[in-house]
Amino acid sequence: MRSWRSKRESRGLEAELRANRPEPSSELVHRLEARVREDGRHSRAGSFRVAFAGALAAGVLTALASVGGLGYAATGAGQAVEKAKRVVHQHGVTTVHKSAARAQYGKPKAKKCPAGRKRVRGVCRKVKKAKGVNFRRPPFTG
Amino acid sequence: MFRGDPLANPEPLIKRVYAYVAYRVGDGPDAEDITSETFERALRYKKSYDSRKGEPVAWLIGIARRCIEGRPATPELSSEHLEVSDHRDLEDDALRRISLSGAVGRLEERDRELIALRYGADLTARQIAEVQGARTNAIEVALHRALGRLRATLEGEDDSSTPVRKSQAGR
Repeated sequence: MRSWRSKRESRGLEAELRANRPEPSSELVHRLEARVREDGRHSRAGSFRVAFAGALAAGVLTALASVGGLGYAATGAGQAVEKAKRVVHQHGVTTVHKSAARAQYGKPKAKKCPAGRKRVRGVCRKVKKAKGVNFRRPPFTG
Repeated sequence: MFRGDPLANPEPLIKRVYAYVAYRVGDGPDAEDITSETFERALRYKKSYDSRKGEPVAWLIGIARRCIEGRPATPELSSEHLEVSDHRDLEDDALRRISLSGAVGRLEERDRELIALRYGADLTARQIAEVQGARTNAIEVALHRALGRLRATLEGEDDSSTPVRKSQAGR
């Protein structure tokens, strides 16, 4: 006991607290280490996959550019888009306005109304003259 | 905000977090559970770690503190089961460790927290100030006082245990 107390006095309380800090069991350390490393592997694998896909795309583009295939690919893509548009595009109903059939069987033209009458809702009606103020020329003043 | 892997080198971090937790709640299964929970949370929120705000250990200690606070209140740490007379067969080192953890356990919560942060997690006074949102000077003073109280506790323990030892020696 005396040796312990003398040791404590010599090393100081702080050093003693550091030296005797509680330590985890090796089982806990290994378990947690494995857990952390496993998680790191998963996240690394994910980022590796993304990086690999990016590198592959860059490689293909470089290869195409070097043989002028980029323009060719662009033209091909443009043409493909046009074709697709043509296939997918919906046309409206085409109406022929002037044709022999329409001239014969189309709607009969409405007859012209006689003078002084105007067609209102398909019926010729008399047009009333507007009752306006009679315009008088101002008197000549010299 | 993910800047570098805070858990790139986990072993020393596990030891420091465990030491902190053990000084707070006592060495044993509870401390192991809290340490495990701390690392689980750290893995879950790894991407929120920002190296500009502090070192990984300070970040982990922050998580551990929340884990401890989130647990149901444990009875005050006591060293009744760590009576010196019951450990006469133990080596001096083990005896010293038990006595120290018992004395730390009898300190007030605030002192225990400071001792755990300084000597368990091995944080500097500045880091402790950052964790606790206090001034470095205030932390240094509080630590000095906490150490004084710990010393007094240990000396009181020594005085009370000496007669037991003497009586055992007399047999």
